[in-house]
Amino acid sequence: MNKRGFLALTLGLGLALATSVSAYAEDTLAKVKAAGVMKVGTETEFAPFDFIDAGKHVGLNVDLFDEIGKELGVKIEWVTLPWDGVLPGLEAKKFDVVAGPATITKARMEHYVFSAPIAEATVALMKRAGDKSIMKPEDIAGKTIGEAKATAQLTQTKAFGDKLPGGVKVKEYVGFNEAYADLAAGRVVAVGNSLPNIAFVAKQRPQTFAVVLPTFGVKTYFGYIGRKGADDASLMNAIDAALVKMKKDGRMATLQKKWFGVSFDTPDAVTTPNI
Amino acid sequence: MTLQLFGLLVEAALYTILISAISIVVGITIGMGVASARASSHRVLAWPARAYVSFFRGVPLLVQLLVIYNLLPAIGLNVPSEVAAVAGLSLCTSAYQAENLRGGFLSVPKGLLESADMLGLTPWQQLLRIRAPIAFRLTLPAVVNEAILILKASSLVSVVGVVELTKMAADLANSTYLPIQLYSAAGLLYFLINRVVAGLGAYAERRLSWGRR
Repeated sequence: MNKRGFLALTLGLGLALATSVSAYAEDTLAKVKAAGVMKVGTETEFAPFDFIDAGKHVGLNVDLFDEIGKELGVKIEWVTLPWDGVLPGLEAKKFDVVAGPATITKARMEHYVFSAPIAEATVALMKRAGDKSIMKPEDIAGKTIGEAKATAQLTQTKAFGDKLPGGVKVKEYVGFNEAYADLAAGRVVAVGNSLPNIAFVAKQRPQTFAVVLPTFGVKTYFGYIGRKGADDASLMNAIDAALVKMKKDGRMATLQKKWFGVSFDTPDAVTTPNI
Repeated sequence: MTLQLFGLLVEAALYTILISAISIVVGITIGMGVASARASSHRVLAWPARAYVSFFRGVPLLVQLLVIYNLLPAIGLNVPSEVAAVAGLSLCTSAYQAENLRGGFLSVPKGLLESADMLGLTPWQQLLRIRAPIAFRLTLPAVVNEAILILKASSLVSVVGVVELTKMAADLANSTYLPIQLYSAAGLLYFLINRVVAGLGAYAERRLSWGRR
């Protein structure tokens, strides 16, 4: 952006808007507690973690953050963006933490801090129900599959596909739901996503979709995402403590069963992810 | 599609109308100012107005929205989603409206302004009583056209976290698996809203036309 334009933009906004000037170099946990509200950024097209049911935002994240809010003594305020806008929003301090969740990866850990894992994220494929040509993950060789862009599942599926004879063609979508829609419409033969997600979708629409087992790639976990740095460390530690406490007293397993049908055995922290 | 789903769409459509209406009004107001500045013979006024138009017309609305939402916190302006959405829409549409209105300013007959000079009207009076009303009247169809365009472009503001009609349709389609019905209904709602806007424009044109006065 040129200087002139930026100046015009800044001036225009300064004149036109009443804005809140955010305070810098302040402990995020202290700020959250003082306000009594923790802002959580997420997307609402990632069932069963976050989705809109009859106009209401529901999912595992909503339930888990309600509990985290109780532990911290604060209310939860949701900010929903498309997934590719969520992490930029976190860096722009639009919210205090990101739900998502995101697969815990090495590359992401260089930029962000992850909470204790809340579910397993290992990738599997979903196909059209009754599609006999795909019985195991390797059967996608030479075919076109769908993926959501900017996801760890995309990276994993690509890596898996590259090793197959003839490779696979990957179509990238804005979100997984668009990929599912094209799977139903027959434009792609399968969609690769984390098992909890596709298991939920296939359970909702058994007529249309089926899960292809086993999972492939390496074992990965889902975690919530926070900013790196001293200001945010206390908040992320408090969230971790709440999550580990919920794991110990069984609340986590109950909620996982509610949304996935199964509970996962997850570690208390992931320090060196497999990918 | 159930009545409940349609109700949710209508609710989101009202939100689309609200943010679009504010943006259209603010956009025309800023556009009027920018157009008169551009038409001014003072270089101090004309030059910034030109820069303003070339920037906000030259950068895609989607990028403007993301910049306002994500970049401004870096300089201490942490605008909430709704403000970012309305600001982006208003600033973008004002550049187009300024150009529409400038066309009108250029079409004001010279003779009228000369007469005004002779009558001793100050430049400010000339702007408010002669140039602006004539420019607005002449460019009304183009102004309404831009209003409709920005109303449809309001579907982009979900990138800064505002759930309007299109985003609501997408969210509902994802949980109900009724994409065709929901997107068709959303399209119909947009069409109806724009019919009303176009109707209002036509009414204003009739009221303001020279023949009736």
